[in-house]
Amino acid sequence: MSSHRVFVANRGEIAVRILDACARLGVETVLGVSAADTDTLGARRADRTVVIGPARSTDSYLSIPTVVHAAIATGCTALHPGYGFLSEQPELARLCAENGIIFIGPTAEQLEALGDKLRARELAASLGVPLAPGGEADTLTEAQALAEQIGYPVLIKAAHGGGGRGMKLVETAADLENAWSVASSEAESAFGDGTVFLESYIRDAKHIEVQVIGDAHGHRAHLGERECSVQRRYQKVIEEAPCAALSAENRQLLHESALRIANALDYVSLGTVEFLYDVQRERLSFLEVNPRVQVEHPVTEAVTGVDLVREQLLIAFGEPLSFEQADVTVSGHAIECRITAQDPDADFQPSPGRVIRWRPPATGGLRVDSHIYEGYLFPPYYDALMGKLIGFGSDRDDAVSRVRQALDRFEIAGPRTNLPLLQAITGHPDFANNTVTTHWLEGMIKEAVHG
Amino acid sequence: MDIDFEELAIFIETLENTDFTHFLYEKGDVRIEVRRGGAVDMPAPAVSPNSVAAPPSPSALPAAPAPTPASAAAPVGTAATAPVHTDGEVVVTAPLLGTVYLAPKPGEAPFVEIGSAVLAESSLCIVEVMKLMNTVHAGTGGVVTAIHVRDGELVEHGQALFNIRPDAAA
Repeated sequence: MSSHRVFVANRGEIAVRILDACARLGVETVLGVSAADTDTLGARRADRTVVIGPARSTDSYLSIPTVVHAAIATGCTALHPGYGFLSEQPELARLCAENGIIFIGPTAEQLEALGDKLRARELAASLGVPLAPGGEADTLTEAQALAEQIGYPVLIKAAHGGGGRGMKLVETAADLENAWSVASSEAESAFGDGTVFLESYIRDAKHIEVQVIGDAHGHRAHLGERECSVQRRYQKVIEEAPCAALSAENRQLLHESALRIANALDYVSLGTVEFLYDVQRERLSFLEVNPRVQVEHPVTEAVTGVDLVREQLLIAFGEPLSFEQADVTVSGHAIECRITAQDPDADFQPSPGRVIRWRPPATGGLRVDSHIYEGYLFPPYYDALMGKLIGFGSDRDDAVSRVRQALDRFEIAGPRTNLPLLQAITGHPDFANNTVTTHWLEGMIKEAVHG
Repeated sequence: MDIDFEELAIFIETLENTDFTHFLYEKGDVRIEVRRGGAVDMPAPAVSPNSVAAPPSPSALPAAPAPTPASAAAPVGTAATAPVHTDGEVVVTAPLLGTVYLAPKPGEAPFVEIGSAVLAESSLCIVEVMKLMNTVHAGTGGVVTAIHVRDGELVEHGQALFNIRPDAAA
């Protein structure tokens, strides 16, 4: 492995996670940082750090030519994009390939196929993967007919959106015309492509996703599912593995469906196939595929014992998967809380600033992935994630009590954080009873404010 | 509403270059208020003036001074492309990361040498990013007193390239 040198094109906790995985493999690292990130933990851990641009991410972390140039000029053989930023850009994968740099992720073609949500939906349909009723409509008349057919409420989604961006909920036929034209023009201006499609709206659903992995030798496997229903504005707040609310039958259907999609794409690297689970009807429907390492990957690592980032690196270097499907077992339960520098008492306003105190608890069954250290100046330019607290237990109740205790003992001073919210969620009877669906948190926050 | 960090950063960066004491922006339920000059009541995690300066770059270039120590919205670091004064000399820094070329074409004479007289619009070098050539101009009329980089090496964003002693008239 020592012949490889990896360029890390990201920041924050995931940069540290990747640097650590490389270090354990004996692989040298170069970290590209913005001018605002020269004193981050990642910059201390990397073998070399280069300043790729100013604080503004469009001129640094989001500049494809700059990142590739920096990787080449520093003698790197591979580039890890992390999550967010450029991780799902086919252009980056292509430019890496053209310049002999291994892109640590799927191919440009796979990124393209999955970036188009309508194409991904059609692929899922062709494979018999369960799907919410819906489809493409070229004109308003077609959209009206389709909406009548699948029944209101419907969601209008942008083909090139994702993660909740570019979506419009339409409750009645009277609202469709306006929502349709607004959604198309918003999609056009936000994603450069006004293609939208319709889907039946599932009001009460759990978010469930399957971790898949594939190597360049045709081996593919899934590593079980995660549940990420605790969300605010489509941003995940708490994730867990496995999903305790699934029947054995539905779990099997879920895993098989995810693998079918991965197999059809000859998928290479880490990927996540997302589904909604209609709790009342006990019905799964495919959502989208995220072709990258996920923020919530540690919960899968906790219950399977597989180091996903290590596997992802080895696969990129051409190694075969170190395990087969039959070797994958899920034991125990893991819960991850995303700690963010946001003030839940002030409408989640970001709260950057000097971190005066950062004392994660240190006991058994815990993991903290973070780039924060005491004295660190949390910058205002990027996302608010400070770290992830992962609790592991023999079953769900055990895992819940671990994270609750850990949240109570976690000391942070300086930026205001969402710790009180995480405590309220994990201490809530609905969370303990595992009845939470994707709209639950918004309701719970409103209640806390007005009730 | 959500405050977009990046938008906020752009706001602050833009404001930094303007002369104001009180700025108020309202749109829908978004309200951004920035004051500077004079004491400002700040919550505990306030950015202290000492923390504002960018950390030294590998070239040991003194960081750009913080624009306004009393500013409530003092940003982390400043535009690294802004010339930095040291002992009356102007340091020309790399506006972006790339490979630096000191001559217009391989084998040709360099744009400038130590002792060359330059005008503000004179070309000093090229910074190449994935075959895209970006010309770096002097920005100040004067005499080149130092060249900090070698032809063909990687320069980072904000790295010192040249020193220029400005013309007395400038």
